[in-house]
Amino acid sequence: MKGKSAKILKDGLWANNPIFVQVLGICSTLAVTNNVRNTLIMAAGVTFATALGSLTLSAIKGLIPRKVRMIVQVLVLSFYVILVDIVLRAYAPAVSKQLGPYVGLIITNCILMGRAEAFAAANPPWPSFVDGLANGLGYGLVLLCIAVVREFLGFGSVLGIRLVGDWFTPWTIMIMAPSAFFLVALALWGAKSYNARAEARRKAASAAARPAPSGAAK
Amino acid sequence: MKKDSIAYVVAFTFVACAAFIAPLALANEGTKGRVEANRLFASRSAVLRAFGVAYEGQADAEAKYASLVAELPGGRGWRAELDGASYLAVKRSGAGLWGTITMVVAADARGERLRGLEILDQQETPGLGGRIDEAWFKEQFRGERLGPAGVVVDQAGTGKGDPDRENGRVDAVTGASRTSGFVQAIVNAAVAEIRAAGGSK
Amino acid sequence: MPDAPAISPLVLFLASVLTSNILLSNFLGTCSFISISKDWKSSFGLGLAVTLVIGLCAAICWAVLYLVVIPLGIEYLSFVVFIIVIAAVVQVLEMVIDRFSPALYLSLGIFLPLITVNCAVLGAVLFMQIRKYDFVQSVAFGFGSGAGWWLAIMLLAAIRKRIENNPVPAGLKGTGITLITIGFMAMAFIGFSGMIAVQ
Repeated sequence: MKGKSAKILKDGLWANNPIFVQVLGICSTLAVTNNVRNTLIMAAGVTFATALGSLTLSAIKGLIPRKVRMIVQVLVLSFYVILVDIVLRAYAPAVSKQLGPYVGLIITNCILMGRAEAFAAANPPWPSFVDGLANGLGYGLVLLCIAVVREFLGFGSVLGIRLVGDWFTPWTIMIMAPSAFFLVALALWGAKSYNARAEARRKAASAAARPAPSGAAK
Repeated sequence: MKKDSIAYVVAFTFVACAAFIAPLALANEGTKGRVEANRLFASRSAVLRAFGVAYEGQADAEAKYASLVAELPGGRGWRAELDGASYLAVKRSGAGLWGTITMVVAADARGERLRGLEILDQQETPGLGGRIDEAWFKEQFRGERLGPAGVVVDQAGTGKGDPDRENGRVDAVTGASRTSGFVQAIVNAAVAEIRAAGGSK
Repeated sequence: MPDAPAISPLVLFLASVLTSNILLSNFLGTCSFISISKDWKSSFGLGLAVTLVIGLCAAICWAVLYLVVIPLGIEYLSFVVFIIVIAAVVQVLEMVIDRFSPALYLSLGIFLPLITVNCAVLGAVLFMQIRKYDFVQSVAFGFGSGAGWWLAIMLLAAIRKRIENNPVPAGLKGTGITLITIGFMAMAFIGFSGMIAVQ
């Protein structure tokens, strides 16, 4: 059981990473990443909603009539997102203001619906929870890397702590929309190239180990 | 009861809605007080920042607000006695590019010099007009001398912040000419209001 | 409406197409944007559908918000209410298009139901709520956002067609180079800022 959870975890974090591989959830990725603090909170919100949403949907999947499946999915996912929104409004109002509509938009974040459809609908509750958690974390890690670059180059700080002196001219482009697109593209490029090379090395190693040709996997 | 029968579908939807909406209603009620307190704190701390009063944490802010700031009758604004001089602050809203920009502007009671300002609410384009909320932009207004019309937001400035407090000019946000213009309009309307109020103590 | 900002609906319309394009400045609606822009014809159809949906949803959600949600005091449920309204609008639009133009319905195919989860629609509605637009402003903003999205996807589809046979590094093929292209488009659109005169 532990081995299976570990595999699901690794899948969500890298092999089936929502941003690099599934190309999901790009919208809110880009919007909040000019600031590390907001990114962390956004990622936490997405992880929370995806993990618990998948858990809940998997737990009640036996009860849901086919006709209202989509509506129930939306209802459950909205429930967790609204919870996040209420908590933020009460305990972190400045962040809630800065995130603005993007918290509500977690509902339409394709990752939540995607994992609900692809995994929770056909798997037991605990693995669904781990899958949601893994996807949320995988998403969060990519966001974090982009946010660190954007905030550092755009403001000279990380998490609001200034890291460079006045000699540094901030790259204003990093605060604005286009930089996010470029950075995700670069990150995607890096991940794909790394995976391609790792795949090639693996194939070369197995081809050397076994003379018979092995079929390519992914 | 068959899972696909109308009765089951309706009953299930009803129960599901109730089961998920009830906790949300509870959470909403439970946090209402806090949300209101947050709103009040945001407004009061903005007034303190406009007056240039530093504070450490919410309790300190509330204490300083209570001891230094007096609310003018009729909700017209605030008065503070700082360093032996009298200052007035007003809340002023005006059109921005996307929505209303609301700010608190503080100046000395005769309207000769700005004490500071703080943006309460703005919906401008993030990365462009939204930069009016950044420290470098707001700090320019601190102690800035006011001309007869008020302050001039200079579109031809360096865009990095004008350190000169005597020239009555501040730098606009580069690339956000409209929003910067709106800020100028709102600040000067606030200054006019302070000058009008400053006459009567 | 006492709280509504003093902005002309026409200016709002133009600004949402150019200076604050819902996709190029606000990042909303990117997922289907990337996948559909491979094909010129689908892009046109989807853009048209999105424009209609956002415009209609902005109007209807405004009505629901100010006539039902706020009077009942259930603002904290507005997300759910909006999504349900959007799903309903898309459903009805599907039926109407099928009734009046089966050809269009066929060409749009699966894209129509996909619009329900397009973040641009819910996003535009949420912006309308946060900025407290009145009815006419909401309609202008809604159709403007949709038109902006439509314009952006047409431009992207055209560019992608042009660079189809260019030597793109393997790691960037597909999504990667599309994102970089969108980045350049976003930069270009920033050039529009300051163009719209208000008052």
